[in-house]
Amino acid sequence: MRALDKFWLAVLILLPVLALLVLPPFGQRMVILVGVYALMGVGYQLVFGQLGALNLAQGALFGVGAYTVALTAPTLGLLSLPVAILAAALPAAIVAGPILRLQSHYFALATLALASLIHLAAVHVESITGGANGLAGFTALLPRGPILLVIVWICLILTIVVQARLFAGPMGERARLLRQAPLVAATLGIDGGRWRLVAFVIGSALAGLAGGLSAAVSGVVSPEITGFPIMVLCLTSVVLGGARHPMGAVLGAAIAVCLPELLRDLQSAWLLAYAAATLLVVLWAPEGLATLIDRWRGVRPVPPVSPVVPAHLEAVDGPQRLTLDGVAKHFGGVAALQGVSFTLERGEVVGLIGANGSGKTTLLNVIGGLECADGGTIMLDERRINHLAPHAIARVGVGRSFQSLALTGDTRTADIAHAIETGASFLLLDEPAAGATDRERSDLASLIARLRAAGRGVLIIDHDIELLSRTCDRLICLDRGAVVAIGRPAEVRANPIVRASFLGVEEAAE
Amino acid sequence: MAYALVALGFVLALNAAGAVNFAHGDLVVLGGAAAVVIGLWTGLPGPLLLPFVALALGIAGIVAARVAILPLVARPPEATFVATIALAAMIEQGLTVTMDAAPRTAPPLLGTGAVEIAGITLGRQPIAIVVVGATLVVAMWFLLERTQVGRRMRAVSADRHMARAVGIPVARYVVLSLALAGALAGIAGFLLGHQFLVAPTQGAGHMLKAYIAVAIGGWGSVPGALLGALGIGLFETFVSAAVGDAWASAALYLAVLAVLVLRPQGLFGEPVGRRA
Repeated sequence: MRALDKFWLAVLILLPVLALLVLPPFGQRMVILVGVYALMGVGYQLVFGQLGALNLAQGALFGVGAYTVALTAPTLGLLSLPVAILAAALPAAIVAGPILRLQSHYFALATLALASLIHLAAVHVESITGGANGLAGFTALLPRGPILLVIVWICLILTIVVQARLFAGPMGERARLLRQAPLVAATLGIDGGRWRLVAFVIGSALAGLAGGLSAAVSGVVSPEITGFPIMVLCLTSVVLGGARHPMGAVLGAAIAVCLPELLRDLQSAWLLAYAAATLLVVLWAPEGLATLIDRWRGVRPVPPVSPVVPAHLEAVDGPQRLTLDGVAKHFGGVAALQGVSFTLERGEVVGLIGANGSGKTTLLNVIGGLECADGGTIMLDERRINHLAPHAIARVGVGRSFQSLALTGDTRTADIAHAIETGASFLLLDEPAAGATDRERSDLASLIARLRAAGRGVLIIDHDIELLSRTCDRLICLDRGAVVAIGRPAEVRANPIVRASFLGVEEAAE
Repeated sequence: MAYALVALGFVLALNAAGAVNFAHGDLVVLGGAAAVVIGLWTGLPGPLLLPFVALALGIAGIVAARVAILPLVARPPEATFVATIALAAMIEQGLTVTMDAAPRTAPPLLGTGAVEIAGITLGRQPIAIVVVGATLVVAMWFLLERTQVGRRMRAVSADRHMARAVGIPVARYVVLSLALAGALAGIAGFLLGHQFLVAPTQGAGHMLKAYIAVAIGGWGSVPGALLGALGIGLFETFVSAAVGDAWASAALYLAVLAVLVLRPQGLFGEPVGRRA
């Protein structure tokens, strides 16, 4: 997400000011509604836009906020708004723990089930919600008209400015990693579960606030406000406007509020047009209308910043020794790793060789916590780290690069640079030289030498045995998941078992 | 049994597209509406109407595949979610505009009234639903498990890239799966349309039940989806008989949340593995 530039900030401030100065009450009411839906949308952008999780409870939580205000405003007045925030954030926080671990389609279903429960309660718990008739006549102590407009838009502008400021920096970069490559994010020490929890609860709180304000605008609350159509409206308006653009929610909400007025003769056909427009945007302009407007204004999209490895690497504090003892891993009946034991010291570079399928990448996954070992222990100094989550292992000092990445704008070295940047004491590099040119290989060799000089421990997989022999202090050869040789490169390469299993055909033919 | 048809179509579309088709429930409603409209125009009796409804919705499935699924295969599943949600809203609103808001009844398949078999009185329509449902389920099983076309469809859903690598025209099979899913949805809508009326807003409910059936039965598993759908049907029948509709629905949603939290791989395991 880019920071909010002057153009959009001006739009954001001028719109309510002009509305107050020139629009009749009816027009002001529309501007208030735009603000209310935009507020819900901004909360939705956090979860859906930044983290890519399809939350289908936002509409129902909006309804929870509305009902809360309808119930508490007669006694609390304006203080019912904070209560609405709490009322929406609380159920979100309660269910968030278990359901945020779920993958995309299950998360969508779980939030849909939550939303359906809320809707059911709104219809059937008549003693509180008034059933199908809903609630009315609660606005005596609430602000109306221009004052409400000012309150709504101040909330909205503050939220947008804070969110745009936060996500324009390193936080936005981390969110992008979480969204596009959750495993990479985890190995860089980013706790995805915690991020989603915070985003989900804050997003729900904003839905509650928006819902409460909508109750103040309309003066009546009925079960439709918790229904699926509100959710669809929220989702489509955010997608239409731009899920990751600071102004996306405002633009989408403005269209959603104005379109029915423009197409008044066609009655409910406006929703048809709205849904069709959303489909077109998904297909041809997935970044949304706000980004299209930016392009038309000549504002270039920000390319993702790729970190580069600094010329001089600082020494880092942290654990001194990585020790594996009898590590085993089975996939069904296949032993991917069996009894793997070795130590890696700081300032040491160890190469991992072996035929395809011998367990090299699995070993890195097990050390990094992406796979859980079935047996044995992995220690950093005196601390046992197998059973820790990947992001926790990353934080205690084990970094990791991957074989191939589908990240936009990232290069081979960016991945390694990310890992180095975390200040990890130990780095696990998976085929960093695969597909590299000679020039890149020599750069890589010098990078490894610098890592050694900076006192980092490196465990590196590669098929380029010459490169490994030049750069590594020791080589470890895996065969069918077991260590068959370990020692100085020349020794390992001379080992008859290694020659048979890995170097294999060509040398045997000599 | 009609739920089973809805869920069967849903899981076919899911496997082919690699993402949830949120428009599936609205295809079911569209099937009911098609039955109403074609029935009014032609005055055909139920059994002859069936192939027309299936054909019309098969075409609707193809349109859905071309518009909202195939163009988005290279994007994250969320893109398909949003596109199909938009499509669902379009179908729902389109129906609201063209039909009046008043619910309609689809013609019955085998006439109305009840018959008595071995001393038990059964409605004609429920019998028709069970017979048609069971026939279609067996036919789908035969297609998927015993024919070359079915093998290729399963190959496409198991590994799209591999399927393309061995020369299967993936896009064509995705469209075919969606056409079949649409036809099944249409027949289900026709069958349900007589018993429960046809109203444009029912789509989300149908979709939610199919979604639940698939999640409970194991993501992407065809037998799991069928068992899940039958389970939901029985659950609703017995629980709502005991405590009323609202509590039955609430209990169902709570049960879903519990299953998702305690056993996220589905009650019968997940055959397609992890889909992040």
